[in-house]
Amino acid sequence: MALDIKPTRSELIKLKGRIKQTKNGYKLLKMKRDGLFHEFRQLLSVMIEAKKEITEAYRLAKQRIDLANAIEGGLAVRAAAIANSAHPEVEVERRNIMGVFVPSVSGTNLKSTFAERGVGFIGSSPYIDEASDTFSELIEKIVTAAEMEATLKRLLEEIEATKRRVNALEFKVIPELEEAKVFIQLRLEEMEREETFRLKRFKNK
Amino acid sequence: MEIAVVGSPEFTLGFQLAGISTLFNPEDEEERIKVFRNLLNSKDVGIVVVDSTVLASLPDRLRMQLSGSVSPTVLGIGTEEDNTLRETIRRAIGVDLWK
Repeated sequence: MALDIKPTRSELIKLKGRIKQTKNGYKLLKMKRDGLFHEFRQLLSVMIEAKKEITEAYRLAKQRIDLANAIEGGLAVRAAAIANSAHPEVEVERRNIMGVFVPSVSGTNLKSTFAERGVGFIGSSPYIDEASDTFSELIEKIVTAAEMEATLKRLLEEIEATKRRVNALEFKVIPELEEAKVFIQLRLEEMEREETFRLKRFKNK
Repeated sequence: MEIAVVGSPEFTLGFQLAGISTLFNPEDEEERIKVFRNLLNSKDVGIVVVDSTVLASLPDRLRMQLSGSVSPTVLGIGTEEDNTLRETIRRAIGVDLWK
């Protein structure tokens, strides 16, 4: 490193203060990284389960709709689908995990009621009803999984950024500051020795 | 915000049955890319549900964009589990934690 520092006492004092501050920040960031990672690991195990459940639920829903298609005919199923007037919506809010804003998703109107299906008592068929029920359940699962997935992604981003910052401090910033400190110390000692030597020469004359 | 579903007509039909009305049935590659581009920039879509076979057929770059997106969050669904999140984790942390 090119040392363009003035080897003065005041500079040394300033530098010492900076090193202390940087080390403090480094410790805090390290803790943040570990905290985020802890949060991440916890959420990940839940997410893995949720993913498995979704796959299961989708398989079941697929089976049901295939059955409905086979028994009631594709046209009837499609007609029932078009008649459905329910409108599932999701609300996305922000939540804070250790300074990271993560979305908090809540669904409204995810399950369609019988009235909203718009088929009436005569037009409905148990197979189609069953299929739409399982799909409603699937959507509910999807909404919770989507929240977790988005949270995990945000946490990942933050972990990566924090990790990078921690590493930069540990391997670049702090060593450089230490080096500068050593340089100033050596330089000051050197100047002191020069001074005493000069005084001695003076005295001898 | 809405939930959007992308996939073959058979895939989207079930979700339509549950009341979702934002459905996309892209037929060829070009259309698919267009649909996803639009969805990525869309402000009123919160969650995108995609058939995992469709997701697998997309170009890598777009797929990475989709898996990194938070709003909307893209979820692949299929009879096989999708591995996009797993990939993202492996890339960010360097270790496969999905166990």
